[in-house]
Parts: sequence; structure tokens; C-alpha cells
Amino acid sequence: MLTKPADGALTRRRREYGLFALLVAPNLLVIAVFAYWPILYNAFLSLTDWNMIAARPTFVGLSNYRRTLTDPAFHQTLWITIVFTGLIVAGSLLIGLALALLFNLPLKGRGVVRTISFAPHILSGAAVATIWLFIFDPGYGLVRALIEPFGSEPPDWMNNSDWALPGLVIVYLWKNAGFTALIYLAGLQGLPKELDEAAAIDGAGTWTRFRAIKLPLLAPITFFLLITTVIGTFQAFDVIAVMTGGGPGDATTTLSWSIYKEGFQAFNAGRAATLSIVMFVILLIVTTVQARVLERRVHYR
Amino acid sequence: MRRRGFLGLAAASALTGCGYRSIDAIYSQPAGSVPKQYANRVRVVFWSPYGGVNGKAVDSLVAKFNDSQQDVYVEVQFQGSYDDVAQKIAAALVAKQAPDLAVLSDVTWERFFLNDALEPLNGYFTDGFGPAVFQPKLFGEYVVKDQSWAVPFARSTPIMYYNRDAFAKAGLPDRAPRTWSELRSWGPELAKVQSGGRSLRTIAFAKIDGDWQFQGNVWQFGGAYSDGLDVKIDQDGAVAAGEWQRQMVHELGLAYMASSASTDFANGLVGVIQESTGGMKTITSKAKFEVGAGFIPSEVSAGIATGGGGIGMLRNISAERKQAAAAFLAFLARPENSAWWTTQTGYLPVVNAAREDPELKKLIAEQPNYGVAIAQLANARQQDAIRLYGRNSNVAIYTGLQQIYADNAAPREVFRSVARRLDAIGDEVRRQYEEKVL
Repeated sequence: MLTKPADGALTRRRREYGLFALLVAPNLLVIAVFAYWPILYNAFLSLTDWNMIAARPTFVGLSNYRRTLTDPAFHQTLWITIVFTGLIVAGSLLIGLALALLFNLPLKGRGVVRTISFAPHILSGAAVATIWLFIFDPGYGLVRALIEPFGSEPPDWMNNSDWALPGLVIVYLWKNAGFTALIYLAGLQGLPKELDEAAAIDGAGTWTRFRAIKLPLLAPITFFLLITTVIGTFQAFDVIAVMTGGGPGDATTTLSWSIYKEGFQAFNAGRAATLSIVMFVILLIVTTVQARVLERRVHYR
Repeated sequence: MRRRGFLGLAAASALTGCGYRSIDAIYSQPAGSVPKQYANRVRVVFWSPYGGVNGKAVDSLVAKFNDSQQDVYVEVQFQGSYDDVAQKIAAALVAKQAPDLAVLSDVTWERFFLNDALEPLNGYFTDGFGPAVFQPKLFGEYVVKDQSWAVPFARSTPIMYYNRDAFAKAGLPDRAPRTWSELRSWGPELAKVQSGGRSLRTIAFAKIDGDWQFQGNVWQFGGAYSDGLDVKIDQDGAVAAGEWQRQMVHELGLAYMASSASTDFANGLVGVIQESTGGMKTITSKAKFEVGAGFIPSEVSAGIATGGGGIGMLRNISAERKQAAAAFLAFLARPENSAWWTTQTGYLPVVNAAREDPELKKLIAEQPNYGVAIAQLANARQQDAIRLYGRNSNVAIYTGLQQIYADNAAPREVFRSVARRLDAIGDEVRRQYEEKVL
């Protein structure tokens, strides 16, 4: 029996395609079930009014979106989320980079210090929050011991609208900085030494070498950390839940907390789904913009 | 995904009712474990929010029931707070599971009732378990249009706890204040008492869930949260109550917002608190001083809110499980069991005859604190409808209170914005409320 060469190629291609499908299927299935399906289902719920106990949702079109986007409380939530995310992302990157530069120096005992500074990152959020509740307590907390020698009364951090958000930011910086430091350190150690040495020979000072050589070379790392920290901070929940519950008043109600509040306190599945979609879209935009704008300015070696 | 694909998907999931409850379907029970000696009985899963001292008392009652008969095994599953129980039931129903019995709070049973998730109980009532047995006020709160949707269990009112030792040091009478004005006039005396390196504060306001106590405070100052679902919290009486508390915190420095008022009280940091009578045993056992208790003060009128938990039966369970669950409810309604629960926790005796129980009488004779809430029950009334039926009204109100306590915000402004939220919340349930409750 004769087979035309073209047919053979086609069969081979089909077989390869089949193999490809077989290999990606498990992954694709998991992603579809645990990522795409929830997003789609969530999008559907956002078009409904459903209190989670009623037999079925009622379709209400876009009214959840209209109501959410015109709600002043939502605008405030969005603003708080932006401030919260901005402070934590900027702070984590700066502190992380500073720590990484320090850890990169040939200092005694730096291994131990590296480990210690990374430890907060792997602790559970609830545990971290509980520790910090104690630290911030105005009556017996550690902060009191730090501030009192200077003759001033410590604020009641978590029960004061002006201090609660900065308090949470401090906790998240403490939790995040070790991680960003570790990633930056890995980046620093992977940098080509020749460039640095050449610049040193040319008479460039430490600061110039850092600004003109190390920092640009670290750009891909910064880019990676920027995206992951922005996403992580947008989704921050555990520490807020334990430390403030979104309060006092609405002072620490971020987008993620308000989703929880609408969904699981008020049982408004439709409204919670709407907020989730809003968050999804915001993160999608932020990530795309970061990818587009920054990618162009990032040097990949 | 293209729009058509998405719409198709949405339509398909809506059509098949995927993930939604069928009102009369029979759902499976949450998993658990049954000890060998109870293996051949009907299993009843009972979700409870009581931990600590009160949780142990629940366990004992259940153990006593299990050993008192041969047919039913009740398994208590602790689920966290009242809110956690409600959340988990909602989640379970979506997953087509249902516990058989659950403790539902004063503000959560309504949402399950309105959405046909509870079993009507009239059909299970007998001579020893029914309207004639229970305390009428507490029983009546679960009766809508002559049908019972839950039965009272761990019911409470706030009472005023006071630190007798501190009161003695401050030269004050050994009783709770009669009016809020009287309490304020005692503040400077209490402030002269030192505790933990600071001067004793007069009263601590709860950061979370303080809206329950505040419901009574609003009545005491002549206001209301709502009339039916028509919101009144932005009107004079409620504003006066908020203003009194604001002054205590911010102008007089006599009060503050506490993460856990009862813990602060038990540690001697504050002179008085308004706290559930269900905390009696816990507070008394933790405090290292003599705990006094009295009525919540009045101002222009008396009036306090009932609260706490009742037990509801889920609708999506088999007839066999329903009968078995009812047997346990009937057991709890026996006077000796109701009385024992009161002696172990401080909650109100929900069964009339329990008040004649010798053990309870003896306890009240020895520790009159346990009798305070019972005596005060005459002043108690069902809460305003917006807090009961409006989902998350309680959070909207206590979030407003936090702004007063933490930020010195003007109560009239705060309550105006709370009222706007409550109006929206009321609109969500108005149709169901008018259809099923009125």
C-alpha cells in the first residue's frame, strides 16, 4: 500500500497535536476548573441579585455595577485601597532593596540575619496579626515601651482611624520586606562583576555605580516584584481581618475586605461578585500597563 | 471568551439551577464521627457557636441527651461565632449539604426564614415542648403569622456589670447606676481609682457588635432604629444616645472603645460594661474582684433588647432526621435542662418552669447576679425590625458607632449616613418582609 508523503506529514502533525493536547490537558483542566470557571461564574453572579440562601439568583442586568460605581462608600474604598497598595509596594521595594544591598556586603553573621528577615514572610497572616495587635496595644504593647521614653503617649493604633491604616502598612512591610530582599539579593548576586569593576576602575563612586549600573540591571527583578507585590497587596485580607475588620468606621476597608463584607456578612452574592470583577479588571489593567510600559524600559540581559 | 459563549454559559447554569437549592430537596449531612456505642442511631448534626465555658455546657447537655435514650445521636459541631454559623450554613446549602439543627442569632435566623431554609416547627410541638412551655416573650420572637421558625435557647439581654471593689474604693453605692446621667456623675469618682497604672475608666463601648447594646440605649434616650423598616436612627432619640456616648469618650475622657469590653472589665480596667447576661459565668470566673450586676440604666425611658441564640431546624433534611432533631429540641425544653444551662452560663431560663428549679433558685439566692436578667426581662422587648431583618444592618450601625468612638464624629452626621445605608438595606428585604412578616 502506497502512502503519499503529504498524508504522512499530516498524520504526523495530527499525532503531534494529539500528544500536545494530551500533555497540556491536565494543566489546562485544573486551570479551567479552578481559575477560568470561577471567573466566569463570578461574572454571571455579578449580573444577579442573590442572598445565597434563596433558591436561585434573580437576573438584574447591570444594576449591581451601576449601584457600586456610583456609591460614595465604594469610591472611598477604592481610594483607601490605592493608598494602602501604593505605600506597601513602594515601601517593600525600597526596604527590600536596602536590605539586599546590606546582605550583599561581606558582613559577619549575615546568613543568620538573612534568615531572620525572611522569616516573617512565611508566617501565617493570622499569627502575624495577633503578634502585632500585642505590639500596638497602647496599654501593654511593645510600642509603648519604645515611645514612652521620649515622653509621649503611644496612639491607640488599631482603634484610631488615622493610625489604623499606617499600622497595617507597617505590618505588611514587616511581612513583605524579607521576601523582596531575598529576590533582590539573588538578583544582585547574579549581576556581572566585570561592569561594576570596570566602572570602579574608571573612578565611579559607590552611589554612581549603584544608580547607573546595578539599578538598571536589576530592572527585571524590580518589574517582577512590582507586579507580584501589587497583586498580593490588592488581595491582602488575613491581617486586616484579624487586626481591624475594616475599621474603625471604614478606615481600613479595602476592596478585598469589602468583597468579604458584602459576600459573607451581608450575604449579597451579586454585589460581592461585582466588586470582585471590578478588582479583577483593575488588576488586569495594572498588570497590562506595567507589562507594556515597563517592559520597554527594562533591560533583559 | 466571546459574548455569545458567555451568555450561553450563564443561561445554561441558570437553567440547570447548578449550585442552587431546591427548597424541598433532601441534602446530606456534614461529615463527622459517631462513637461506636451510638452507631446504630439516627444522627443529628447540631451546629453551635458556643466555645469556652458555654461550649462545655452545650457538650454536657448533648452528652446527657445521647445517654438518655436509644434512638438518636446528636453530634455538636462548633463553628465559630454566630456569623460564622450563618455563613457556613449558606455555604453548605450551596454545596447541597445541611446540618439538621443550628444556633441562629437574633439577627441571622430571619434571613433563613425569609428564604424558606427553615422548617416550620408547629407540627413538632407536644405537651412538653411548645408554646405553653417556653417563656412567652422569648418564644414569641420566632413566631411569624402563628408559625414558629425556631425555639429560644441561649437567650439573653444586656445587663450592667460593675466592679464592686472599685465602686467601694470610689465611695459609690454598691449598685448599678439607675440612669445614664447618674453614671456620668460617678465618672470623676471612679477616675480617682488607679488600675494598671492608669486611672479607672467609667465605661467601655464595644468595638464590634456594640449595636446590640446600643439598640437599648437608643430606646432609653427615647429613640428607635426603625419603625418597621422605616429607618429612624437619624432622629432625636438615637442622636441623643450617640451624643451621650461621644461626650463620655471625647469630652470627659471617661469612656473608650474596647476590642473586648468584657476582657478589659475582667482585668479591672473599667468600672462598668453593658454585656450579655450569657457572659456571667465567664466574666465572674475571670475577674479577680467582686463582680456586681444590675439593670441597664434608663434615661428618659427603660427598655432593653433581647438577643442571643435560638435553635432552628433546616428544611432540606429527611423526615427521619427532622423527627430526631425535634426529639433533641424537646429534651432541651425540659425545665431541669433549661435551668441547668442557665446555672452554667448565665443565659436566661427560656422555659417557664425552669425558674422553679431548686438548683437555679439556690444559685440565685447565693449569687443574686444570676437573677438580674430574669428580673429585667420585664423591660425587654424585641428589637426594631431593620436590625432584625435587614442583612448587615448590625454592621452598618456598629461601623457608625466606631466613627463616633474613634474619630469624635458628630452623631447626627454619622447616623444620617448610617440611615442612608439602612434605607438601602431595608429596600433589599422589603418585598419579602411585607409578604412574609406583615
